[in-house]
Amino acid sequence: MKIYIYQIFERVWHWTQAILILFLALTGFEIHSSFTVFGFQRAVKYHDVAAWAFLVLIVFSVFWHFTTGEWRQYRPSLKLIKEQAEYYIFGIFKGAPHPTNKLVYNKFNPLQRIIYLGLNILVIPIMVLSGFAYMFLNYPNTTFQLGSLDLIALIHTLGAFSLITFVIAHIYLTTTGHKPLSAIKAMLTGWEEVDEKSARAMVVNEMEVALKITRARLKTDKGKSEFLDKALEETENKIGVVKEEKFRSVIANSGAGYFRIDKNGLYEEVNNSWVSLYKYDSPDELIGKHYSLSRSAEDFAELEKTFRRVLSGETIPHGEVKRICKDGSCGFHTITLTPVVRNGIIVGVEGFILDTTERRLAEKELLENKIRLESLLKQKEN
Amino acid sequence: MKRNLLILFLFAGVQSFIFGQQPKENKTTTLIIENYTYKAERKTKTAVDHSKFSILQQEFARPQDVTIACLSCHTERHSEIMINNHFSWDRQEKILNHGLISVGKKNVLNNFCVGIGSNEAMCTKCHAGYGWTDTTFNFQAKENIDCLVCHDKTGTYVKGDGGMPTPETDLNKVAQNVGFSTAQNCGSCHFYGGGGNNVKHGDLDKAMLKSDRNLDVHMAKEGEDMSCTECHITENHNITGKLYALSSENTDRVSCEQCHTASPHKKNILNKHTDRVACQTCHIPYYAKANPTKTYWDWSTAGKLDPKGKPIEQKDSLGNVVYFSKKGNFIWGQNIQPEYRWFNGLAGHFLITDTIRSIPVQINILDGSYDDKGTNLRSLAPSKIWPIKIMRGKQPYDLEYKTLLQPKVVGPKGSGAYWADYDWQRSLEKGTTYIHQPFSGQFGFVETEMYWPLNHQVAPANEALSCIDCHVRGEKGRLNALSGFYLPGRDNFPWADYIGIFLVFSTFVGVLIHGGLRIFFKNNNNHN
Repeated sequence: MKIYIYQIFERVWHWTQAILILFLALTGFEIHSSFTVFGFQRAVKYHDVAAWAFLVLIVFSVFWHFTTGEWRQYRPSLKLIKEQAEYYIFGIFKGAPHPTNKLVYNKFNPLQRIIYLGLNILVIPIMVLSGFAYMFLNYPNTTFQLGSLDLIALIHTLGAFSLITFVIAHIYLTTTGHKPLSAIKAMLTGWEEVDEKSARAMVVNEMEVALKITRARLKTDKGKSEFLDKALEETENKIGVVKEEKFRSVIANSGAGYFRIDKNGLYEEVNNSWVSLYKYDSPDELIGKHYSLSRSAEDFAELEKTFRRVLSGETIPHGEVKRICKDGSCGFHTITLTPVVRNGIIVGVEGFILDTTERRLAEKELLENKIRLESLLKQKEN
Repeated sequence: MKRNLLILFLFAGVQSFIFGQQPKENKTTTLIIENYTYKAERKTKTAVDHSKFSILQQEFARPQDVTIACLSCHTERHSEIMINNHFSWDRQEKILNHGLISVGKKNVLNNFCVGIGSNEAMCTKCHAGYGWTDTTFNFQAKENIDCLVCHDKTGTYVKGDGGMPTPETDLNKVAQNVGFSTAQNCGSCHFYGGGGNNVKHGDLDKAMLKSDRNLDVHMAKEGEDMSCTECHITENHNITGKLYALSSENTDRVSCEQCHTASPHKKNILNKHTDRVACQTCHIPYYAKANPTKTYWDWSTAGKLDPKGKPIEQKDSLGNVVYFSKKGNFIWGQNIQPEYRWFNGLAGHFLITDTIRSIPVQINILDGSYDDKGTNLRSLAPSKIWPIKIMRGKQPYDLEYKTLLQPKVVGPKGSGAYWADYDWQRSLEKGTTYIHQPFSGQFGFVETEMYWPLNHQVAPANEALSCIDCHVRGEKGRLNALSGFYLPGRDNFPWADYIGIFLVFSTFVGVLIHGGLRIFFKNNNNHN
């Protein structure tokens, strides 16, 4: 599964910053006489140009972070920080799941938050400030008393080393995502491959945030929830999530049996789960037949009573009932019955059933075991 | 896809922004042209023909008579010369370690022939006057001024002992052919300081009279063919410019900036360098380019004679005298890289009365340091890095009084002059007595240094120093020895580098181990 996590600006910013940092390191360490690539003169020139480019980028990114509220991503949090550290030290080797999910509104794990915050408010500002001091106060004259460049150069050099250290660790840690390259691909395309759990967490989070924002931006004297529910329903209709279909698909995936019966008690629709629970071969065998076939004669009376109540508008969650399957065997399930409303008129009953046979059997077995055990104990006592 | 292309495009944009900026070559420089006439506009004809003046057509018995003749028209000019150092050899200057004091050639020492006391006859060959052979010379007599040495246009005027013209000089001819001073006039003394061409300064050489661009861009015949006074602007015989071998104050100097301004470069970063780096530092990468200069003079070895009692002279393969009985050992150099010092325009002098406190004795101390930024300190502007010829040597000093000693070197046999009698004891007794210097009778030789800031023989721009001549680690850096400040490219904090490299390296190793373990456990888990 893939989720869209990095917007275009973030990606351009990230890669431009990456290139600039590497280029500044290359030219910077040449100025430091660590090696020769461009020659000192060009290295200085390029380093200065790259520094200005970096400053422009910083201005853009600061603007972006504040206008989009993305700066919140960097608020440090101690929550799960221990788990995150433990994951990298132990869990990762055992194939344990990530302790935190990557979410659009919470991209960084607690360790990343702290490291990136440190970069943004400490290392990079120090590099920029010391860099500009280096650039403009390099020939200390009468206007500004600067003892010597040594302290500035020291700070700038140590900052450079820490950035390189960061880059190494950073590149390595990109391989700890869903797949080794998924984080890098995500930073290139915006789409990150994640496991299902993460994807769901991300979708839920995104919806949650959207709803929270909507709610936060609503002021009303009337019931907020009711208003929002309606709005949500409208939204769903608008963007084509038809409620019925949604309901059906939820049920189809849930393992619960679904049924709909018309006013006259004839089956209109059953789903596959229902069919298999009742041990029929296909829904076609049932459509148009009366629901009495689902019960023994003595149980039917109770069901009919409930059916009438539902037709008059009640929703009834029912306890466990016994069903008669096609082959005459029985099973057990719980049942919920709700009226089907069309154009304001109740036209039938629908509901779903959750199988409890296995539980029933398990309970039975447990009971039998218990009895056996007790009898054994008694024998022993005797 | 569209997005990816956009990203690519933006990256490419940034890249070309960085790499697209090629350093531009300097095509033109800023020049302030005041009091300067371009070669093309110079007048070759003079308004006055001195040969037509009847007063100059007389037979001159004495050179002093020429001076009287000059002054009969150029009245009052003598008053300008009498206060000029070329005549007075005396400057009242505030010097660093002594306050207001008389310096100038008459009073200070050097580490060539040491000092003029008792040796005047020889030294005053280059005095713009007539007859200075001892302390009785009359500086107030205007006929004692030598006009011709600076204004002769014939090139035949040669001075001998006491500054008198040699007997064969045709004073009549010379007097009728006078004019503005040229490099020939100035050079007749200034090229030959220390007893030979280019010996003393290292950047003043007779070759500059026929200079090409490589030797001296300003004086190059094919270039502007400038004479000395184009830079050493002179009004009323007050010649600007002076050298710190004799002077101490930051006044009356000639500078490159007077024409070229303090920011003549197109590249801003070079203009920023001028805050703390003298123009000369980059633009005089080598000195003594045409002929060798003396860099070391050891008096202590002087006096070895051959079996016949005659002085010995030894030459190196290039013909430079490396030993001479009268003077001792020499070291010469050609195409020399200057040494570099911080300098703020103020100098101190080691006077003959000063006590030696450190060795080598610094005969003229150039003031300045990186920390001297001008405002709060003695100087008016920040100290700059200057190229210096450092003259080193050994010369006599008093073992007891710890002072440098004045020897008598010139004189007839039996006078005690060292160059005649080869007897240090007597030479020093005579010299010190002459200048009333206390002498214990115990003498030795002490190492001395003299600092000669370099100003001439400016190289073409493309031969100026480049970044890596200084911004480089280790011995090959020209500023390797200049400490007290952080020079990017030259300096680093080794401990900080070790920490940084350790940090990077250990992270790298950590990452390898962590990644290796992940792969190992993954494989194990798969097998299970």
